[in-house]
Amino acid sequence: MRQRFLAPVLGIVVFIAAWEGFVRAFDVRPFILRAPSSAVNYLWKFRDDYLAASWVTVQHSMIGLLTALLIAVIIGAVLSSNRFIERATQPILLLVQVVPWIAYVTSVVVWLGSGTAPALFMVTLVCLPAFVFATVDGMRSVEPATLELLSSVDATRREVLFRVRLPSAAPMLFTTARFNLGLALAIAYYVEGANVANEGIGAIGRKAAASFKGADRLWAAVFSVAIIGVSALLLLSLLERTVLHWHAAQRSERR
Amino acid sequence: MLAADREESASRFGLISGKGDSVHSAPMSNVALQGLSKSFGDLEVLDNVSLEIESGSFVSFIGPSGCGKTTLVRVVAGLEVASSGSVLVDGSPPALARSHKRVGLVPQQPGLLPWRTVRANAHLLLDVNRAANPADAANSNALLREVGLGEFMEAYPHELSGGMQQRVALVRALALHAPLLVMDEPFAALDEITRSEMRLLLNQLVEGRGVTVLFVTHNISEAIALSDRVIVCSPRPARVVADIAIDLPRPRSRDIEDDARFVKLCADVRHALHGAMRP
Repeated sequence: MRQRFLAPVLGIVVFIAAWEGFVRAFDVRPFILRAPSSAVNYLWKFRDDYLAASWVTVQHSMIGLLTALLIAVIIGAVLSSNRFIERATQPILLLVQVVPWIAYVTSVVVWLGSGTAPALFMVTLVCLPAFVFATVDGMRSVEPATLELLSSVDATRREVLFRVRLPSAAPMLFTTARFNLGLALAIAYYVEGANVANEGIGAIGRKAAASFKGADRLWAAVFSVAIIGVSALLLLSLLERTVLHWHAAQRSERR
Repeated sequence: MLAADREESASRFGLISGKGDSVHSAPMSNVALQGLSKSFGDLEVLDNVSLEIESGSFVSFIGPSGCGKTTLVRVVAGLEVASSGSVLVDGSPPALARSHKRVGLVPQQPGLLPWRTVRANAHLLLDVNRAANPADAANSNALLREVGLGEFMEAYPHELSGGMQQRVALVRALALHAPLLVMDEPFAALDEITRSEMRLLLNQLVEGRGVTVLFVTHNISEAIALSDRVIVCSPRPARVVADIAIDLPRPRSRDIEDDARFVKLCADVRHALHGAMRP
């Protein structure tokens, strides 16, 4: 139990110490790599600004992620019940998943203007396909015996959906959420920097990257998103362990 | 019309439950098959099967693998539609019996939901299509205790052995208090020792409950130990080649398998099976 916390913390401490040592020992040019101590100092000095900006980024990424999840579950429920609609929709979803979002994000910003709208739209759009695929796969993974059993007492499709199919999809949705989390943060960060609203960590990062002496500002921004990402990941694991305790137990037994 | 049907069946259930202990008496069911045939495309699976199954009897279907005996009971349970012929469960077509929750299914795999506890899994079939729940639905907790799972109510399926999982599946079907139980090789995946325990348990559970059971199996001694009647099926398409009455006394104990009559019946069923296999 103790090792489970000790080992990762130790890993991070060693990593940051090595980084700090490397920058000091080799006198790396400030813009290429900052010593973590100097970035953290800067972050602490301007903590109010970074906190406010982080809150904006948290909203962009998390609301976008949750919206994607919600829409995906609805779409997935429809697709998993109809092969034809699934086949018709699949290429569109694959296109969204495969085409780099960074290629067309500028057009979306021009279209939706500045501020929250383009960030939410992009996060939702890009995170959607993986969630839809996870929902469809998860819902189809139900044992035929279970479906037959429910049909032997004339359970409605709705009952089957809520009592069997959706819970079956939950483990896959959690796995996908973990993967989509990094994506959502990247998109939120980029879109915040790409529009004129000047809000969010991405806006700070973008301006810092463009300025000659912005290294500390930039790396403080990087640390901010890192903290957001790690916290969200921890929260997700905690939620998974609570909601899917049965699944975690099953997995560890199979190992 | 459906609502009226439900009301009628509810009142019937009510009347019957008034007669005695609600756990130990199930409404009677009579299964009648008349010239039943079924094919999947060109594949003929059932060929003109006619049978009358008396209420409260335990009937096993035995035959070579893939002969269509599973399809036969699936048609009775309303999971497949017959190509021709008629099926009546308690006077009504299978689809109606199904919508009234008058058939309790025990599949080959227990099919327990991993996120539900034993208690909740045993209650699963009562949680859906609630409108059709009988007024005297059996107490699934009491049933779980009866099959020796009282200590495991809050356990999850992955914590149970295969035999325990199958016991939950039995309780899940019995909890419906349906007059007809359809069991498709429920013990096929279990080891021999667990299997023989399950035999004993199933006998204890159905004796005195008045429930009709259709039981598909590959195992001759299992069929005889459990049944009042063993139907031997031919290779596909399945026809009835022998209908053997098992007049062994009830309640049946473990020792029944040492009885000379038991041994003789095993030979009878085996000969009928081999006779059916010969071209």
